[in-house]
Amino acid sequence: MNTIILSEVSVRVAVDGAPAPKTLLQDVSLELTEQRIAVIGANGSGKSTLLRLLNGLVAPSEGTVSVNGADSTRDVRRVRSKVGFVFTDPLSQLVMPTGREDVELSLRRSIKNSTERRARAEAVLERFGLLDLADQSIYELSGGERQLLALAAVLAVNPAVLVLDEPSTLLDLRNRELLRRTLAGLEQQIIMSTHDLGLALEADRALVVDDGRIVFDGGPADAVEHYRALCAAEPAQGAR
Amino acid sequence: MRRHGVLIPNYVPGDSIVHRTPLWLKFLLVAACGLASFLVVDWMVSAAVLAVMCGLFLLTGAGVERLARSVWLVTPILAAIGAVQWWQLGGPTAARIVLNVLVCVVAAAVLTVTTPVQALLDGVVALSRPFKRLGADPERFALTIAIMLRSLPFIAGAFSDVRDSARARGLERNPRALVLPVFITTVAYARQTGDALAARGLGEPAD
Repeated sequence: MNTIILSEVSVRVAVDGAPAPKTLLQDVSLELTEQRIAVIGANGSGKSTLLRLLNGLVAPSEGTVSVNGADSTRDVRRVRSKVGFVFTDPLSQLVMPTGREDVELSLRRSIKNSTERRARAEAVLERFGLLDLADQSIYELSGGERQLLALAAVLAVNPAVLVLDEPSTLLDLRNRELLRRTLAGLEQQIIMSTHDLGLALEADRALVVDDGRIVFDGGPADAVEHYRALCAAEPAQGAR
Repeated sequence: MRRHGVLIPNYVPGDSIVHRTPLWLKFLLVAACGLASFLVVDWMVSAAVLAVMCGLFLLTGAGVERLARSVWLVTPILAAIGAVQWWQLGGPTAARIVLNVLVCVVAAAVLTVTTPVQALLDGVVALSRPFKRLGADPERFALTIAIMLRSLPFIAGAFSDVRDSARARGLERNPRALVLPVFITTVAYARQTGDALAARGLGEPAD
């Protein structure tokens, strides 16, 4: 079992022209041990910042984040070897022109022998049903195939935790279902932000983030209800 | 973003003599073409070398279309360079400079269509291994090449998308409406790529 601990974490960033830094997250303390955790909240509420803390992509301004005992600031390499991160847009994540090459790129550090690396990449692609598409340009793949490929490239190095930042936002219904089935079959601990409340309801635990704070932490059904009430009470930012 | 033609074409599987040529020899060929562009002073020699390079490219089986696509993308820049050189130094010099650049482009294309990217990166790692003694990380050299190969078509694609957006708004003649969004998109892409690499632990110092 993985244990991720956020202890009194705040994240602030300087904003051009503003006298004071902007607070993205405020006093967040969490212990994340469940196998499936959903993070829901409005756009700009701090979901992505929370997730990025877990992989060391964002460093806390105050407080600490640790993954299985490794501090995300002092021991960021160890943290990143444990925590895989999947971005919303796979095209910003896939670095190489084809799927095979991208998965092989993930494996370059861990497998030096090129034959062995190729075989391992093929095994990973086959597991995700992508082997037939391995040599196609990433631009020729559908949105769902690209997202699966991004997932495969991250899982190739077998992280203990998988963090996904709105993985289904750019997908149509069919590809969302494909992603959902794929995620359900993974053994990794999954922490995922999403606007797909159906996906959130399948989690073991759900967090609602609003204005940089965790405003609800509990069962997914209650979390979704809380989030709906929050949205109903407050108009969207553009309508204020 | 749409798929766009690429300056440096992707690997095309095959069994031609160029495919079977050792990587070090192909690297040497590209380096020699780059060096020759400084040494060759006769445009007719440059034209002959270009013809040989095009012949080598076609020998790979990658086809005329791929060759034309990789050359076509540099045509506007070469036309501008050629015009300036013609005005400053005369026709033969302008022709030599343009042809020498084309020789380098086609030589690079010969390398990339006949070599899988991972083999290319392995080659870069092997070539840069001596620099390890000076504290350099060969894997970072390889990663830099990989990112360059990926970024060139992205920037070309960004330019096409921005040009279409500008055209839709009737701003196609406004250079700011073209250059500024491409610049901003490219910077955002660089940041995203940096995040993606960092998240995957790529580009960090070797053990």
